[in-house]
Amino acid sequence: MTGPLFRVIGLWGRQTGWLLFGLAMSLAALVAGIGLMTVSGLTIGAAILAGSLAVPAILRGFGASRVVLRYLERLVTHGATFRALADMRVWFFRRMAGTSAGGLGFRQAGDVLSRLVGDIEALDGLYLRILLPLAGAVLLLPVLVLLIGHRSAGLGTEIGVLFAAAAFALPWLAARASGSAGSLMAKEAGALRVAALDALTGLREVRAFAAEGRMIAAVQAKEAALLSAQQTMASRTAAAGAASFLCAQIAVLAVLIDAGKSPAVAIAAAFLVIAAFEAIGGLPRAGALAGYASAAARRVLEAADAPVPVPDPADPVAMPTGTALRFEAVEFRWQPDRPAVFDSLTLEIAQGARVALLGPSGAGKSTLAALALKVVAPRSGHIRLGGVDIVTLPAALVRTRIGWLGQTTHLFDDTIRANLLLARPDADEAALWAALDDARIGDVVRALPDRLDTWVGEGGTRFSGGQGRRLALARALLSPAPILILDEPCAGLDAETERSFLETLNETAAGRTLILITHRLTGVEKLDRIFRLSGGRAVAAAG
Amino acid sequence: MSQADPTKAAARSWLRREQRAGNRAARPVLMWHVLGTLAGIGQAFAAASVLAGAFTGSIPAAPALLAFGMLALVRAGISYLTERAAFAAGATARRRLRSDALSRLLHAGPTMLRGRHSGDLATIVVDKIEALDGLFSRYVPAAIFAMVGPSVVLLAVLYADPWAALVLLGCGLLVPVGMAVAGIGAAAASRNQFLAMGRLQARFLDRVRGIATIVLYGRAEDEARALAIAADDLRARTMRVLRVAFLSSVVLDLAAALAMVVLAIHYFGLLRADGTAGILWPALAVLLLTPEFFAPLRTFSAAYQDRLHATGAAESLIDLPPLPEPAPAREIRTVAAQGVTVVFDNVRLTWDASRGPALDGLSFKAAAGETLVLAGPSGAGKSSVIEILLGFVRPDSGRVTINGADITDLVPQALSRLTGWIGQRPVLFAGSIRDNILFARPEASPEEVAAAATAARLDQFTAGLPAGLDTQIGEGGYGLSGGQAQRVAIARAYLKNAPLLLLDEPTAHLDPATEQEVLDSLRRLALGRTVILASHSSAAHGFGGRRLDLRDGKLIAARGVA
Repeated sequence: MTGPLFRVIGLWGRQTGWLLFGLAMSLAALVAGIGLMTVSGLTIGAAILAGSLAVPAILRGFGASRVVLRYLERLVTHGATFRALADMRVWFFRRMAGTSAGGLGFRQAGDVLSRLVGDIEALDGLYLRILLPLAGAVLLLPVLVLLIGHRSAGLGTEIGVLFAAAAFALPWLAARASGSAGSLMAKEAGALRVAALDALTGLREVRAFAAEGRMIAAVQAKEAALLSAQQTMASRTAAAGAASFLCAQIAVLAVLIDAGKSPAVAIAAAFLVIAAFEAIGGLPRAGALAGYASAAARRVLEAADAPVPVPDPADPVAMPTGTALRFEAVEFRWQPDRPAVFDSLTLEIAQGARVALLGPSGAGKSTLAALALKVVAPRSGHIRLGGVDIVTLPAALVRTRIGWLGQTTHLFDDTIRANLLLARPDADEAALWAALDDARIGDVVRALPDRLDTWVGEGGTRFSGGQGRRLALARALLSPAPILILDEPCAGLDAETERSFLETLNETAAGRTLILITHRLTGVEKLDRIFRLSGGRAVAAAG
Repeated sequence: MSQADPTKAAARSWLRREQRAGNRAARPVLMWHVLGTLAGIGQAFAAASVLAGAFTGSIPAAPALLAFGMLALVRAGISYLTERAAFAAGATARRRLRSDALSRLLHAGPTMLRGRHSGDLATIVVDKIEALDGLFSRYVPAAIFAMVGPSVVLLAVLYADPWAALVLLGCGLLVPVGMAVAGIGAAAASRNQFLAMGRLQARFLDRVRGIATIVLYGRAEDEARALAIAADDLRARTMRVLRVAFLSSVVLDLAAALAMVVLAIHYFGLLRADGTAGILWPALAVLLLTPEFFAPLRTFSAAYQDRLHATGAAESLIDLPPLPEPAPAREIRTVAAQGVTVVFDNVRLTWDASRGPALDGLSFKAAAGETLVLAGPSGAGKSSVIEILLGFVRPDSGRVTINGADITDLVPQALSRLTGWIGQRPVLFAGSIRDNILFARPEASPEEVAAAATAARLDQFTAGLPAGLDTQIGEGGYGLSGGQAQRVAIARAYLKNAPLLLLDEPTAHLDPATEQEVLDSLRRLALGRTVILASHSSAAHGFGGRRLDLRDGKLIAARGVA
């Protein structure tokens, strides 16, 4: 159970300085607080026994430093937490990027979001509410035992045991007891988010099918499940809190029972015990939350540790200079229990060639691009780039050679400019406009008040479907890669625009290899070869 | 200055209203709090008796020790019940507010998605409502108890030592003054934090959705760096909130430390001056009650951040469009024999003034049972016609009637019953293919679903899957090609079986052979229905029926039988 938490703490390495600074502040504030209470109690005894006159000065000192240190403690520890959490988010995104090139797959975007934001934030209590009070408890235990045991060894031991129970045993028990409730809570929170995203992403469908009532009911059902998990958690937290309170009260009672021996010391001891137990009063609750944090940590790491679909070679060979693409007897299926997309695909696309791949939907046209881009690996056979098997090349370098327009290419909720620059960060203004013009969308963008700085909206929703496709096409054309794979570049274009696009594509892609994946030809394309995909093989149709 | 901001003013009055509603729900929590404080006072008196008795020997210890122990048990029980009651208050409020927010979003419909991220909207329904929990479970009871609790303790201190009561009252009054000063800046900063949080979440969702695109362009590292900057921005904003918010805790720490120091030194002086007898018990009782006096204020201080969070959340909630008044439903007759007649009369619609009108005085009529093909380049206004008929948007001017009734008079449910729709990009929900078809009509029988799947040519594909129609598909329909996803949408339309069929580029992503098959199926479905088909595919233009050519939102030609 603690394994994932330790690994998370390990991810915070870069922030060790801040975290330790926070810890020091926290311990100093704790000492000042306990000192204030204890010396207050001591004052009474000292007055009666005509003790030291310095007591008021000490009191003032503890009082003032308590106030200042508490403020600093809060600021530093929170700042350190946020730094550590930001590190973890970015780490997680990087890991995701390494494992999810093929898209989110069966993982749901809403669930991933919940993991990223919710689970990572669930871990913020780890340092503040678990580690810091725990460190305080470790510091306090010997202090308490020594100070009280100094006069009465028996009482010291008794209080030490109670303190250890409240600070260590109860939190541990609470963490164990709430483990399942915590996992459930994290799961139900994720499910609620997916249900809400379903309803809201599908607002059109919901309205068209008058499904408002059903969608509300679905969200309410997920909410009820979440609330019930939260209630279990709340009950356990409350029980842990009550048990911790009882430990403190028994400790005070023990001091009171023992008061007759030396009343002056007993007063100070009573105040010390009250203050010490109050300082760790939050730990059992924190223990109950640790179950939740642990489940969150496990989910975060699980997502980050997903296997890399196509691992890079340990010992990559040099990138070839040629860009001829060759598929040799490639066999591929998306999942072992699904039918093969290709059983023995052999296909040669020479450097600089213009090729069309035809075939009905489902024939594997898009899969072919995924194979070339090393998003997936063939079960058998070879794919060679410039004569070198791409298994021996790093995926990132293979992808620099291939510009790709997919059927589901994503437009980011950002400006047109930022979306285009994704393909070539160093492209200048002229290059951006040239790509937009080539994609037949330049005039539309020119007519916008903000031109290149126009926000495209989620998935390009501020543009019509055809316009969004053309923005994605412009991005692919902007890519400096020597091979261009365009998957249905004309989908969503009207016949007139389609013809004019294809006519200029020849100049646009001059000198580059062009692979046009389409379900029909218009007759204006200038092509070297045409292949038809069917039955898991490529057949030369003309050329 | 902040008074002038209408959003903040509205958020404040919303919060005040909600707090009043929360007061009733907070009563059980408050009652447990007060009982706990009374037990605490009893414990302080008992402990003081034991300790004072140890000096003087005048008070027997056993009864006081017994009382202390019994009250400890009672208080432990009370603290458990307090938390249970607090959870119940928060859960009830969240349930009510979440349903309300979701209903409003769903009733506002697809126009919410123009310019707003669905991830943003989900944040409102999930996180912002969760952020309101503290307001009802903690802040509202704590706010009342912050007045009641110290007053109760003050009465007990007054009984023990009137002068000490005066000191505590003075220190206690420092707290609300200090909090008011700190709270003003913190409320504004809290809103910034929430904005940063929403943007960060939307950015994560967007980047995660497009992670394939990012990785294939080799830009994962750059995006990771951009996310680091966004996260850093969030941290800076959050710390700005906390720097101010923690000041209210400083005020409290200061008041509590001041009271403790002043009282301890006061009793130190008194005890040194006149021995022990009279004032030892009151001195101990007062010093033990001092933390008890500040405890409710401490609880309130911790809960004060809950209110700041709630202010941020409240601002996005009051932004939501209001639920429409339940309109007097003018149900129109939809006799199957007569079918549905659609008339557009001089309709104008502008989405975005800078891009010109989408529909510019468009007029046409689709008679019952007629098929109308809307043709024209992208941006000609074809989709706008469909969106008006789906009730996603209202025309700016002109009249759209269905069987003579103005479309703006129809309640959404009545309109939905009349229309079947297949759009350009179907949204498929996480679940099985069967669930996704059933979405059109949840009460349909398995046979009806199977028939719809067959009619949409979906069965050819599902027959090859081990789980058939029960194959699970991910969000966005992973595992289905564009054509297969579209066939699920077509199966939905078959299952719904409505008299008016709206087809918006239904074959845009299908290859010619499949396109023909689907058009055949649609032609069969079209029999006896009014159909409006928007398409620029030449194959679709052979669908039959009358053809209207649109350009720039105007009708430029009509062909076929009128």
